[in-house]
Amino acid sequence: MVRLLEKRVLYVKGGAKSAPLFIFWMILPVILIISIFTFYPTVNGIILAFENYSVFNFSNIHFVGLKNFNKILSDPLFWTALWNTLWWILLSVVFQFMLGFGLALLMRDPFKGRGIYAGLVFYPWALSGFAIGILWSWLLNAQFGFINDILMKLHITSQGINFLSEPSWAFFSVIMVNIWYGIPFFAIMLLAALQSIPEELYESAQIDGAGVFSRFFHVTIPYVSSTIFATLLLRVIWVMNFPDVIYGMTRGGPGGTTNILATYMINIVYYKNDYSLASAVGVFIITLLMVYSVFYLQFTSKHGSGEF
Amino acid sequence: MKKGVIVAVGILLMAIFVFSAPKIVLNMVQVFTSPSRTEILQNIIDQFEALHPDVQINLISPPYSTAYQKIYLMLSTNQPLDIVEVGDWSLEGVVELGKLINLQPYIATWDASKDIVPGLMQAVSVTGGIPYIIPNGVYAKALFYRPDVLVKYGITTPPKTMDELYADSLKITDSKKNQYGFDFRGTGLPTNFIDIVTTSYLNDIDPNNMYKLTNGQLWFKDPRALEGLKKYIDFYKYTSPKDSINWGFDEQVNAFVAGMTPFLFQDPDTTGLLSTMLKPDQWMTAPLPIGSSGKVYPSYGFGGWGITTYSKNKDMAWEFIKFFTTPKISAYFCKDYGALPVLKSVYDSDPYFSHGVFKAWQYMFEHPDTYVFTSYPLNNKKWTEWNEYQQDTMQQVLLGNMTPQEVLNKWYDFWKNAFSM
Repeated sequence: MVRLLEKRVLYVKGGAKSAPLFIFWMILPVILIISIFTFYPTVNGIILAFENYSVFNFSNIHFVGLKNFNKILSDPLFWTALWNTLWWILLSVVFQFMLGFGLALLMRDPFKGRGIYAGLVFYPWALSGFAIGILWSWLLNAQFGFINDILMKLHITSQGINFLSEPSWAFFSVIMVNIWYGIPFFAIMLLAALQSIPEELYESAQIDGAGVFSRFFHVTIPYVSSTIFATLLLRVIWVMNFPDVIYGMTRGGPGGTTNILATYMINIVYYKNDYSLASAVGVFIITLLMVYSVFYLQFTSKHGSGEF
Repeated sequence: MKKGVIVAVGILLMAIFVFSAPKIVLNMVQVFTSPSRTEILQNIIDQFEALHPDVQINLISPPYSTAYQKIYLMLSTNQPLDIVEVGDWSLEGVVELGKLINLQPYIATWDASKDIVPGLMQAVSVTGGIPYIIPNGVYAKALFYRPDVLVKYGITTPPKTMDELYADSLKITDSKKNQYGFDFRGTGLPTNFIDIVTTSYLNDIDPNNMYKLTNGQLWFKDPRALEGLKKYIDFYKYTSPKDSINWGFDEQVNAFVAGMTPFLFQDPDTTGLLSTMLKPDQWMTAPLPIGSSGKVYPSYGFGGWGITTYSKNKDMAWEFIKFFTTPKISAYFCKDYGALPVLKSVYDSDPYFSHGVFKAWQYMFEHPDTYVFTSYPLNNKKWTEWNEYQQDTMQQVLLGNMTPQEVLNKWYDFWKNAFSM
C-alpha cells in the first residue's frame, strides 16, 4: 500500500523526498481524530479518577489522591460487581463459544434454506444490546412475561418465576440472555474459518482411515485454532465491557446482585453524579484489561494468532 | 427582468428576517419532562408569546433521567439559559452552583405573591431562607385505589389506617391469580414510601425534619420505628409481587392500571396519567392511611422556576414566571398535568381542586394534626447520597441479607454523621 502511494506521489510530485511528508499529511487527520476522541478522553478520565469531579460542585475541583479508589475498594457492592464480572465473562464466553461453534459446524455443509436460516440465526447480533435487554426484561417479567405464561400453561410452574427479582435467578437470566446474544458472533467467525478448510484435507484424512472425531481433532481444530484463540480472547474484552444487556434487564439490581464493573460504573454516574468515583472504577477496568492484554499478546505471539 | 425579481425576492426575504426576528429570546428548561407536560408548557408559552410578540421562548425538554445533569452542565458553563426549572430534592445543589438569582426583589413588588399557599414560599426557601424559585406546582402523596378491583373482594371503602391497608392487601393477595394488594416501590429512590409507613408508627416526628423527633433525637433506634419498618417490609413480603423490588414509578403505575396492585401511594401528577389510561370510575384517591400513632407524615414536594444570574433578559424571564403564576394559567397547568395549585385563589375559584380525586388532598390539608406535613432535610449536604444509600440498604433487607434492626442502625449512623450530632 505504501509503495503504491509512493509511486503515485512520485508521479504527482516528481520527487522521492516528499513521499514521507505526503504520507504524514494523509494520516494526520486520523491521528487527530483518534487523539481528540479516544486518547484525550482516556487521559482525562484517568486524571478525573484522582480528583473530586462531581456535577454538583464544579467550583471546587481538586486533586484528592487515592481517595476515590479507597472509597470503591471499601464498598461491598464493588466486590460483588468484580466477582460477578469474572463469572459473567467465564460463563458467557464459554457457552457462547461452545454453542456458536456447534452452530457453525452444523451450518458448514450446504442445505436447503441455509441462507435464510443463517439470516435468522445471526439476526440478534444486528440488534442493539440495550434493546435486547429491554425485550428480555419483558419476556422474563414475573407477572406479565411471555416465558412465565408459557411455563404456567404447560403446568411446569404454578406461579410466575421471579426471573429478575430473585438474585440467583436474576444473574442466571442476564447471563443466559448474553449467551443467546453472543452465539452469532462465534458462529459467524468460526463458520468463515471452517469454510476456508480445503476439502482435500478431509478426503485424504478419510483415506488414511480417520474417523469423525479424529478428523475433527486433527483437521478441523488445528485449522481453525488461530481463529478460535483470537475470537475467544477478543470476546473476553468485549464481554467485560458490555453492560448493555444487564442495564436493559435489571440495571444491576436487585440490590446490586447483577452488577458487573461496567454497570456499577454507570450506576455511579447515573445516581451519584460522581464522575471521579466512576472514573476510578474505569481505571480499575482499564488496569484489569491491560494485565489481560499482556497475557493475550504473549500468548498469541507464541501461537501466531494475533493477526487482528 | 429576471434580475429585478431576484433582487425583489431578496429584499423581501431580508425584510421578513429583520422584522420578524424577535428582539428577545428566552431559553427555558424543564425537568419533569413528559410528552403531555411538554405540550401543556408549549401551549402556555404560545399564549405568552401572543401577548408579547417581541419575545420568543425556546423550551428545552431533556428526558427526566438526565435532566439535572444537563442543567448542571448548562449552568456551570454559562450556556444560554434564562428560566430554569428545579425540583425540591435538587434545589440546594443547583443553588450551590451560584447561578440562580435571589427573587426577593421581584417578589417584593409582586402583588400576587400574597396569594401563594401559606408556608409554601418558606418551604421553597430551603437555602438560607432565600427564595430562588417560584413554585409552579405542589405535590404530596395520597392513597390511590381501584374501587372496581376491590369491590370483587367485598372491599367498598378505602382503608383509613396502615393496619387496615395491610389487612385489605393481604386479603386480596393471591399470587396464583396474579393478584396482589400493595403497589410497592423497590427502586427509583423510594425514600418517601419507606418513610410514610415507618414514621406513621411514631407520634412525635419533628415537622421540620422527617428524621428527628420533637425532642431533637433521631428516631432510628426507637422501637416504634422498628415496628413501622417491619410493617413496610411485610407489605413487600406478603402483599406485593417479588418483582416489585425492581419497580420504579413506571412499573408502579403499570401494575396499578393493570389492577394487579390496587393500592398505590402517589403524587397528584399521577392523576394526569391515570385519567388517560383508566375510566373515571376505575380509580379514586383517599387520604394516606394513618399509622398506629394516629398520625401520618406526608411531605410537600414542589417544582418551580428560577432565573439565571447571567441571563440578559431577567425582567422578561420574570414576566413569564408571573404570567405562569396567574390563577388562569396555574389552574390550567395543574389540571392538565395534575399538580396541586400554588395559589390560594385557585382552590377557592375552581371547584375542580376540592372535588373528585383532589378531595383527598383537600381533606389532608384541612386536618393538619393527623396529616402532619413534614419537611425533609433537603439542605443537608448528604441528602442526595441518602436517597441512594437508603434504597440500596433497603433492598438488602428485602433480599434478606440484612435485618431491619441492622438497617435502622446503619441509617442512624448515617444521619448522626450527616447532622454532626
